[in-house]
Amino acid sequence: MFGFLLQRLIQAAIVVFAMSVIVFLGVYAIGNPIDVLIDPGATAEIRENLIRQYGLDQPLWRQYLTFVGNVAHGDLGTSMVYNIPVTDLVFSRLPATLELVFVSVCIATFVGIPAGLYAGYKPDTVGAKAIMALSVLGFSVPTFWIGMLLIMGFAVQLGWLPSGGRGDVGTLLWIRTSLATADGWSHVIMPAINLSLFNMGLLIRLTRAGMVEAMSTDYVKFARAQGLPDRQIVFRHILRNISIPIVTVFGLELGSTLAFAVVTESVFNWPGVGKLIIDSILQLDRPVMVSYLVLVVILFVLINLTVDLVYARLDPRVRLRGGGE
Amino acid sequence: MSKYLLKSAVAAIALLCAAPIAAQELILGLRAGPDSIDPHWSTLGSQAEALRHVFDTLVDVDETLQLKPGLAVSWEPVDDTTWEFKLREGVTFHDGSPFTAEDVKFSIERIPAVTGPMSMTLYTKYVDSVEVVDDYTLRVTTKGIAPALPNDFTRLFVVPSETGMEAGNEEFNSGEKAIGTGPYTFVSWQPKGDMVLERYADYWGEAPAWERVVRKEIPDDAARVAALRSGQVNMINYVPASDYLAMQNDGDIETFVSDSIYILNVQPSVKDEEPQPITVDGEPVDGNPLQDKRVREALDLAINRDVLVDVVLEGLGTPANQLMPEGFFGYSDKIGEKPYDIEKAKALMAEAGYPDGFEVDFTCTNNRVPGDAVVCEALAQMWSRLGLTVNAQALNGTVFFPAAAREEYTMAMSAWGTLTGEAAYTYGAMVHSKDDEKGFGNFNRTGYSNPEFDEVFVRGTQTLDPEERRKLYEQASEIAMEDRALIPTVILQTVWAADADTLDFTPRVDQETRAYAITPAAAQ
Repeated sequence: MFGFLLQRLIQAAIVVFAMSVIVFLGVYAIGNPIDVLIDPGATAEIRENLIRQYGLDQPLWRQYLTFVGNVAHGDLGTSMVYNIPVTDLVFSRLPATLELVFVSVCIATFVGIPAGLYAGYKPDTVGAKAIMALSVLGFSVPTFWIGMLLIMGFAVQLGWLPSGGRGDVGTLLWIRTSLATADGWSHVIMPAINLSLFNMGLLIRLTRAGMVEAMSTDYVKFARAQGLPDRQIVFRHILRNISIPIVTVFGLELGSTLAFAVVTESVFNWPGVGKLIIDSILQLDRPVMVSYLVLVVILFVLINLTVDLVYARLDPRVRLRGGGE
Repeated sequence: MSKYLLKSAVAAIALLCAAPIAAQELILGLRAGPDSIDPHWSTLGSQAEALRHVFDTLVDVDETLQLKPGLAVSWEPVDDTTWEFKLREGVTFHDGSPFTAEDVKFSIERIPAVTGPMSMTLYTKYVDSVEVVDDYTLRVTTKGIAPALPNDFTRLFVVPSETGMEAGNEEFNSGEKAIGTGPYTFVSWQPKGDMVLERYADYWGEAPAWERVVRKEIPDDAARVAALRSGQVNMINYVPASDYLAMQNDGDIETFVSDSIYILNVQPSVKDEEPQPITVDGEPVDGNPLQDKRVREALDLAINRDVLVDVVLEGLGTPANQLMPEGFFGYSDKIGEKPYDIEKAKALMAEAGYPDGFEVDFTCTNNRVPGDAVVCEALAQMWSRLGLTVNAQALNGTVFFPAAAREEYTMAMSAWGTLTGEAAYTYGAMVHSKDDEKGFGNFNRTGYSNPEFDEVFVRGTQTLDPEERRKLYEQASEIAMEDRALIPTVILQTVWAADADTLDFTPRVDQETRAYAITPAAAQ
């Protein structure tokens, strides 16, 4: 287990390093952030001073080493636009994204998996076919478009839900979150549904495929022959056996939903990190871009690690190969 | 009985729903907000717009950017290099302390110490030293003659001298040091989130109509429109052209339209060697055709500005004939409307030796101002009628500006706003020859250089008499436009929208949405 962890951490370090180099090179190739930020009326003297002040006159490798040096001291840098530490900036926005993703993943899971199981259990019924048709829509219609439709319908026409923003924030188990207030829920529900559609479609199809396959296997036939109730067969045996691909995809999707919820966040004006990173890219706010991407890489590594641990729980063979506990 | 209950329940619900969003509260949905609560951090327009509610500037500007008293009631030059400002008496900061000349002196001196990448030193670059004569008199000694100093001070936000030099963004963002003399006190703000303000009871000026103001930042155009339509906000700014058309036919929504200060200018490079080659039949031509004034004039004549306004911008624009809107200090009445004359343009091209035109790259922004990309494409088509092959390319500002700064474009187009309301700002930066020593021409990316223009313009910057200076700037305008140093196309307009018949608002050319200038609609 320890060797496995160590290997993962080394991999992560390499990915983080490569990532930071790529981002640095990319921003450097676009050009000087000062030229994007500077006021039109500024004189050449003011411009030169700024470039020096932000160390942008240094060669690229030195700028990079300075950055790495700061990171080694736990300092991810300071946003050029806001002049507050990047970590503060990212962590002030992270709860908003986390709660959005949390609700959306719950919706995807608790709707998607049962729907998939049903569609696989009785594949020829009208209900199953309807579920499959909807699942195709879920990942083939663009998110922003569905988001706009939701807003037009539920916010503008019906006036049931607010069109955007995060709403009142309350405290739940010492965490500041809008999930603690009714107003917060009214704000989160629409973007969360919007964000969940893709994953839901994916989960439905995966679960159904696994279910259909499992239904024809011997162990299901034997279980049936033994007279076990269907409910027990489906939830105790089949679900467990088809979980591994579901967990894999779920893990991958969780990561990308977290990292790239930007479309939904923009459409619903949700103050999360996705919007932060887009704003930073538009202003070439390099410290924020680099630090955010590094954080995303770490996030992916952590999620994959968790997925592997869940495998071990689900499938004893994985545990044995991992070297034992 | 139950019927009665039901009725009263329905009535109660109807009342609840109909209750206006607390009559004393104004909620605005805005495209951009501040980057910090420190008023000396950034020159960004959205920053100034937001912080104006909390802090006052020494000099204020009206809806058309003409100067008017702010914290200073009057100002005049004492000699060539000294300006004297008389300050308003009886003004207090939000913590109750009185406002004096010391606070202004401190604010001017604080700027270089705390400013960020959009440097505020831009507005203090002429200041040599500041002297407090008495509590309400201030003398500013300038580096050389600085007739535009009061214009620069329209962005000089005043903070109390007790703020201390070491206070930075954190102290301001938390509200601890966010103490000004403005009409509203600071309540809270989150980066890219809501800014909440409360009316300041002891404000020196007219009391604002709203007890509480929430400025919501909603950068996405569609999301902003949806927020208005769903009743989440009372008013929004920067309505996109497509929604503007729909709102015209919607009785529930009222729009406010105003010219902005932003003009889309074509910038033809007149350097000896053009950065991107101009070709005829794939072969680079000798020299730079754009150096020939006839070619630039032909490009100008081939632009149908009425079509740009009516068709391309859906009516949300005005034809531009010089680099500033009418009425600005230095706008010349002698420059007439720009004609559209394709025949004359073709003749000029033939005369210049390009009867069949040439092929040229044309680059512009696509996200900086509304309409920049569509105008760009429309121009390319208009020039193709002249026989040119124009490769139009609309780029994100993040890519465009650094490359423009490296002067990599042969023909470019970007928006420019005369933020200070007078010509020196625009001509000094974009038209005067590049001269780092004098601090001019830092945005002159075309290589244009005309000694006659430079001479007239510089004379203007060193003349304190306003009438004399105005004449010189007008003359400079005429020279630059005759030369087609830059080719202005259209003045962009800005649209605000609110629920019909709820608010009164006079739009401003600088696009600012000032909550204290918005009032509930007069009773009908």
